Amino acid sequence: MRGFRDALPLAACLALIAGAVSAKAPGLAESLLAGIAKTPPVSTPFVQVSYRGVLDRPLVVSGTLRWLGGDRLVREITKPFRETARIGGGELSVQRGGGEVHRMPLARAPQTGAMLAGFRALLGGDVSALGNDFTLAAEGGKAHWVVKLTPRTAPLDRQLDSIVIDGRGNEPRCLTVTDDNGDISITLVGRMAQQGLRSPAPLESALAARCRNER
Amino acid sequence: MRAGARVVLYFIWLALIVGIGFGVARHLEITSDLRDFVPPGRTADQKLLLDEIGNGPGSRLLLLAVSGAPAARLAELSRGLEQALARDPRFQRVANGSADLAAAASDLLPYRYLLSPTLDSHRLDAAYLHQQLQQRVEDLSSPAASMLEPWLRRDPTLETLKLAQGWAPARQPKRVDGVWFSDRGEALLVTETKAAGFDPGAQAAAIASLQGHFAALPGAADAKLTISGPGWFGVQASRHTRAEADLFGVITTLGFVIMLLLAYRSAVPLLVTALPLLSGAVVGFALLALIFGHAHGITVAFGFTLLGVAQEYPLRVFSHRRIGVSTLACVRELWPLLATAIVSVAIAYLAFFASGVAGLQQLAVFTIGGLVTAGACTRWLLPRIVPPARRDMAATPGLARAWQFLAHLPRPRWLPWLVAAAGIAVIAWAPGRFWQNDLSALTPVPRAELQRDARLRAALGAPDVRYLLVLRAPSAEGVLALSERVAPALDGLVGQHALEGFELPSRYLPSIATQRARQAKLPDRSKLEAALQQAMQGLPFRAGVFAPFVNEVETARGLPPLTPARFERSPLGARLEAMLVQQGEGWVGLGTLTGVADPAAFSALAGETHGQAHLLDLKAATESLIVAYRHRILVALGIAAVLLCAAVTLALRSPRRALHVLGPMTLATLLVLAVLRAAGIPLSLFHLVSLTLAAGLGLHYALFFERRTDDAHEDLRTLHATLVCVASALLVFGVLALSSVPVLRAIGLTVALGVAFHFMLSVLMAPAGHLRRGERGSE
Repeated sequence: MRGFRDALPLAACLALIAGAVSAKAPGLAESLLAGIAKTPPVSTPFVQVSYRGVLDRPLVVSGTLRWLGGDRLVREITKPFRETARIGGGELSVQRGGGEVHRMPLARAPQTGAMLAGFRALLGGDVSALGNDFTLAAEGGKAHWVVKLTPRTAPLDRQLDSIVIDGRGNEPRCLTVTDDNGDISITLVGRMAQQGLRSPAPLESALAARCRNER
Repeated sequence: MRAGARVVLYFIWLALIVGIGFGVARHLEITSDLRDFVPPGRTADQKLLLDEIGNGPGSRLLLLAVSGAPAARLAELSRGLEQALARDPRFQRVANGSADLAAAASDLLPYRYLLSPTLDSHRLDAAYLHQQLQQRVEDLSSPAASMLEPWLRRDPTLETLKLAQGWAPARQPKRVDGVWFSDRGEALLVTETKAAGFDPGAQAAAIASLQGHFAALPGAADAKLTISGPGWFGVQASRHTRAEADLFGVITTLGFVIMLLLAYRSAVPLLVTALPLLSGAVVGFALLALIFGHAHGITVAFGFTLLGVAQEYPLRVFSHRRIGVSTLACVRELWPLLATAIVSVAIAYLAFFASGVAGLQQLAVFTIGGLVTAGACTRWLLPRIVPPARRDMAATPGLARAWQFLAHLPRPRWLPWLVAAAGIAVIAWAPGRFWQNDLSALTPVPRAELQRDARLRAALGAPDVRYLLVLRAPSAEGVLALSERVAPALDGLVGQHALEGFELPSRYLPSIATQRARQAKLPDRSKLEAALQQAMQGLPFRAGVFAPFVNEVETARGLPPLTPARFERSPLGARLEAMLVQQGEGWVGLGTLTGVADPAAFSALAGETHGQAHLLDLKAATESLIVAYRHRILVALGIAAVLLCAAVTLALRSPRRALHVLGPMTLATLLVLAVLRAAGIPLSLFHLVSLTLAAGLGLHYALFFERRTDDAHEDLRTLHATLVCVASALLVFGVLALSSVPVLRAIGLTVALGVAFHFMLSVLMAPAGHLRRGERGSE
């Protein structure tokens, strides 16, 4: 809880002031995520495909995601270039290749904080960081389920449209982040990531269908 | 005069004192502007020091540390305090590591290519743009992508971010939860007050406000706020000094009351003895208000000390009253001597008036006005409000025996010569420094606080308070150009470990010449479009996506260069404003330095720039001012001594009698100096003022002992008066000598020693015939 609050102090404060605390009773979303709960450290390969308005084709990177517990996450890109991003202690640090380390407070990058919360839920089923800042909605069953996180606090809700986690059984498959400007990034994890992409520049609709277990 | 009328007059007098005092308090401004107090600066650095002391970028900083709670709570407190201080008009700026410099840079967005050094080493050609765009592609896969994306279309080289990085402190504490933390787990903040660092009143108000903000934060009760910096030290020192002075004031007042009751066995002296002194003080203040409109705090402190002489006037009157003779008649008999003392001292202080230093002129006006008023009140008002005497002090038990004892002390003729020779020898040959030039030694900061300050300063990379880099040029543009020229040399000094870091005005605003050179390197629209098209080959960017960038570069080509006035309106403007100041005809740039390890290493820099850029040691410059100031005081005191000798000789109409008065005074002053020197105490301005007060008191002792009377009882009354005066001075200043505050100790010790020596020498050097005749009369 604390880790995320630190990343989003303003959002958290506003949430508290509004008194908008989501229903505490464990709903479908909580029980689905609880099903994938693991104890950190958790590690998984990932493939991220970004669809951005400034680009005319998707960007693909792959590597390893590690959740070390709490608010600490390491995202290591190995292809097509090397980059290590560490999130923790309210800070994001990025080192590309052997270059210098760039640091930035998470308070200035609320979307990165949101992504951290999403990955915590994805990798460890840890929903503790979500309650106050997102509305949780879930649907589906064992064969395919979807948990949708919608931000409900400023300034996050002006930058982020939603985070969607797709899964099957006790296994998460994809994390889809949709920015407010329509940019989308889809991160495949676990077995999906191991299987890799079927095309070097997959269509967004095709990839989304794979996440939904349609193909 | 009837009792009723006396009481009425007493209350009218009191009401006048309160009334004038109240009026003066509303109109007289007590300043802490050093320019009032020291001689006009002679060197350019002294002038700069007077303008900038306490105003300099370093001395207005307060370093803050929040500790005693879990890190997350401390971070919240840090953010809360930062927000509160940002809104508080008493503070110029506050930083806790959470500031987004990119936001400040975006305010100057159109100027980014003129401000950023990128174009000094690169051109916006296809090769450079391709390399930049390649990096942007990779950025778009990083977790910070969503942050960068909005900038991309107009600023694909991320110039704004580079500017922000250039403006960020070179060395920053580590961040936890987005705010600065020390290695000991304290949340760190740094804030700059609007008030000057050495304006204790304004600093106290700012600090109280800061502490109020902190206390009002939720959860602050469990955490601890530590403050450090010049302003904090000043406030602490004056608070400590005042607390101790107040404590000693209570003790000595009690002692004084008991002594008066014992000496006069009546409550009357108790009720009226302070009135002449108070009257003198309020009139002195009123004169300051009328003539100057303001007074320096140190003037007031010195003036009050010197005015202490006036406390003796009413005591003399009470000791000399006789049964059956009206007080007015007794005062009339005393008046020639009292008037001689007052007029001589007043004439002597005229020397201060001629000194040409505003602070000393204020001191002269205050002291002369105060002494004359206190004397006049003693002469014309006091006798009209006290009831007739019911006791003759000559009959005080033991007084006659004391007189006999003093009269029979051996008075070898060689004694004064021996004392003089020994005194001069000690003064000349005692080891140790003669003068104390370091004013801060008089109100020292506890060692633990100094260590903590050094630790926080190092952790925050806050600038050195002692050293500044001064850049002089005829124009602001010249200063900025000079600043650019010396930056590589300073980098070299950092490399040699002579210095840890520095901040120059050109870091924020390059000179117009540099801006124009960069502007000239901006390609025109067609060239840029062609380069961009070539650069985008093989990269996934959509065609035309950088149109805003192309437009803004085109705009930047036609912009007039950014001036200091325009920059100072931006969010970072206050920083440049503090570093770029106009002085007289020219301009001065103030570069702040961090961790100066080798001041001598800067001499090469000064040589290369012909002194246009040089290190200013604020401590050395302050000390040189103090030396100049002391020189003025010593000259004034020398002239005052000559005037005093002339006035006393004229009043007594006999050089021989004058010698009996002035001899003991001179010798006693010499003795005090010798004792201070022998004890290894370097002399400060406060010692000089205290010596002057002691000499004023000594003048009274010598004058009254030298007085010829043919009445044994009158001699006893003189002894009574002198004993009461000596005892009260010893009480007040002897207690002060026990203080733990060096400045109070300096005043206390010097005056107490002086009073003792003046008394002893006045007795021993009084014409023996006087004393013995008194003795014969009583037998």
